[in-house]
Amino acid sequence: MSRVIALCFLLLAAVIGFLHIDSRPPWASFASNVAAPVEEELITPALPKSKNQTAPSKVSIADPISTWLPETGAASVHAASLIALKDGTLRSFWFAGSREGAADVVINSAVFDPKSANWSAPTIVIDRVSAEKGLARYIAKLGNPVPARMADGRLQLFFVTVSIGGWAGSSISSIVSDDEGLTWSNPQRLISSPLMNLSTLVKSPSITFADGRLGLPAYHEWIGRFGEFLRIDAQQVIDKRRMSSGRSAIQPLVFVNDTQDATAYFRQTRSAGQLKQVPVSQTQNAGESWQAGADLPIANPNSAVTGLLLNSGARILVLNNIETGRYRLVLMMADAKSGQWETIEVLEDDEALPEDQRKEFSYPYLMSLDGNDAHVVYTWDRKKIRHRSFSGAWLKRAQSQLGTAPTEINSQEAK
Amino acid sequence: MNNLIQTFALVEMSITCAVIITLLLQKTSPQEFPGIAKGMLILLLSNLFFWPLGLGMELPLSAYVRGVIGDLSIVTTLLLWLSLFSGSKPTPLAFKFAVACISIAFYPLALGFGMFDPYAWGYGSNLFFIGVLLFATVCGLANWSKGVWIIAIAILAWAAHWHESANLWDYLLDPFLAIWTVIALFRALYSKRRDKARSGYLFRPG
Repeated sequence: MSRVIALCFLLLAAVIGFLHIDSRPPWASFASNVAAPVEEELITPALPKSKNQTAPSKVSIADPISTWLPETGAASVHAASLIALKDGTLRSFWFAGSREGAADVVINSAVFDPKSANWSAPTIVIDRVSAEKGLARYIAKLGNPVPARMADGRLQLFFVTVSIGGWAGSSISSIVSDDEGLTWSNPQRLISSPLMNLSTLVKSPSITFADGRLGLPAYHEWIGRFGEFLRIDAQQVIDKRRMSSGRSAIQPLVFVNDTQDATAYFRQTRSAGQLKQVPVSQTQNAGESWQAGADLPIANPNSAVTGLLLNSGARILVLNNIETGRYRLVLMMADAKSGQWETIEVLEDDEALPEDQRKEFSYPYLMSLDGNDAHVVYTWDRKKIRHRSFSGAWLKRAQSQLGTAPTEINSQEAK
Repeated sequence: MNNLIQTFALVEMSITCAVIITLLLQKTSPQEFPGIAKGMLILLLSNLFFWPLGLGMELPLSAYVRGVIGDLSIVTTLLLWLSLFSGSKPTPLAFKFAVACISIAFYPLALGFGMFDPYAWGYGSNLFFIGVLLFATVCGLANWSKGVWIIAIAILAWAAHWHESANLWDYLLDPFLAIWTVIALFRALYSKRRDKARSGYLFRPG
C-alpha cells in the first residue's frame, strides 16, 4: 500500500515537473544588433578639464582621449568594465583593495561624462561583508565585475566571489540596480556548476537574445579551463552550453555575426610548446552548440582579449599581441569584408624598457556609447585604471585606411 | 523571494549540521539515544548553527559551512535526516551502485572532459526528466518506497525553485552523495569478499 501511495506521489511530482519544463522559455536567436551607420562626425572634441587627462585635438577628427579612472587610495586595482547609461554617460566598475584577492577588496564604480571628459567621484558598489550577508554564506574575496543591461532596462552587475581557495574556487553572483547604478539590490548567486558550484567566472560582456534574455560568456578554470555560455533569466542560469573543452581557453569574448551565427575569441591558457594564439569557437545555432575553429593568428600571452562590433561592420580588439608578458597593448581592427586584423593604435608599449622595468597593461574592456565610438579601460600596472576613447570619426578613418597603408599599420600577427 | 531562499537554505543547512553531529555522537555512544533526546539535541544544535553567535563572526555558523560546500541536494539532505530514525530501512545497495555509476560518469563530463555536458540536461531536458522518473519507479518496484518519496520531493523542490539552482541535477546529486555511494559500494564489495573468505570455501574438499 505504501508503495502505491509513493508511486502516486511520484506521478504528481512528474506532472508538476513536466509543467515546469513546459514553462521554460525556448532557446531564442541572438538579438540583431546591426544598426545603420551614422554619418562621419567631423567635430572638435571637448577639451579635458581635469589634471590627469590629456587630449590632443585636431581640427577635423577628434583624436583619442586618455583619462584615468578616479583613484580610491587602494594599492591594487584591476578588472575594469564599462556600460553605457541611458543619459549618454558611461559607468565603469572595477575592484580595488590592498592586493588582488584581499579581504578588503571592494567593487568600485564611477561615471564618465563624455561631454566634459570627466569622471565622477568613485563609489563602493559592494564589499565582501555586504556580499556575504546578502548571499547568506561566507565570502573570502570579490572580483571581476561585469555589467549588463536587462530586458526591462535595469542594470545588472555580475561579479565573482570566492569562499575558499583561489580564483579557481569562484562562483558568479549578480546584483540589480533600478537607478542606473546609484543603488543596488541584494546579491543573488548564479548556480552553474555541479561540484559545489565551484569555478565559474565571468570577464566579458554579455550578449542579448531576441527574447531579451542575456547570454553570458563565462569560463571554468579549475580541473579544466574552458568557456561556457550561460543563458540568464533575471538572476538565474536557465541553461548553459560548453564553448570549448580541455585546459586551453578561458574568458570567451563573443562577436554576434547574425541572429544564429557568432564567433568567440578566448584568452589562451595552453601549456608550453603549444601555439600562443587566440583560440576560436563558433556557433551557428545561436549558442546552442559550439565548435572549436582555427586560431585567430594573433599572438596571445595568456591574457584577456576584449572586442567590439561597430555599426560600420568593423570589429575592433584590444589585447596584448605578444607571446609573453603584458607590456604592450594594442587596438586592432578588422573590416567586415576582409576579416584581416591590423593594428590601428598602440595603446601602451614598454618593449624598449629593460624587462624588470616593464609595466603590466592588462584586462582591457571595450564598450561603445553609440555603436560608432569606442571606450576602452584597462589595468595600468595594477596601480591605476586607464581609459582611452576613440571617436566614431577616428575609427571610421582608421577603417578606411585598413589595408592601404602597410608601412603605417603594422600587422601584429603571431609568427 | 531571494531572502526566503537564503533563509530556507540556512535553516536546511543548520538542521543538516545538527543531524550530522547527532549521528556522530550516536556512533560513539554505546547506547541508542531515545527519540526525545535526539529531537532535543537537533533542536539545540540547529539553533546554534542558525543564529549569529557574534564572537567575531559576521555570519551564523551554517553560513560558513554553506560558503564552503554550497547547498546539499534534496536527496542527500533527506537521506541524512531520515537516517536518524532507527526504524528506517537502510538504503539499498542497488541504489548506491546506480548512483555511484552515474556519478563516476557524470562528474568528469560535467567538469569539462570533452564538449559533452550532461549537467545541461538538468535545465529542462524531457528525456533526462523521464530517466529520473524511471529511476524512481524502479526504486518503487524494488520495494524501496522511501527512495520514491525522496526523488519525488526533489522534483517538487526543483519545480518550486526551492534552492538557488534551476538545474534538476543539483536537487538529485551532489559530490557528497557521490562519494558516500562510491565508498559504500567499495565497503560492500570488501565485506562480501571477507565473508566469502571467512565461510571457508577455500578449504572445502573439491
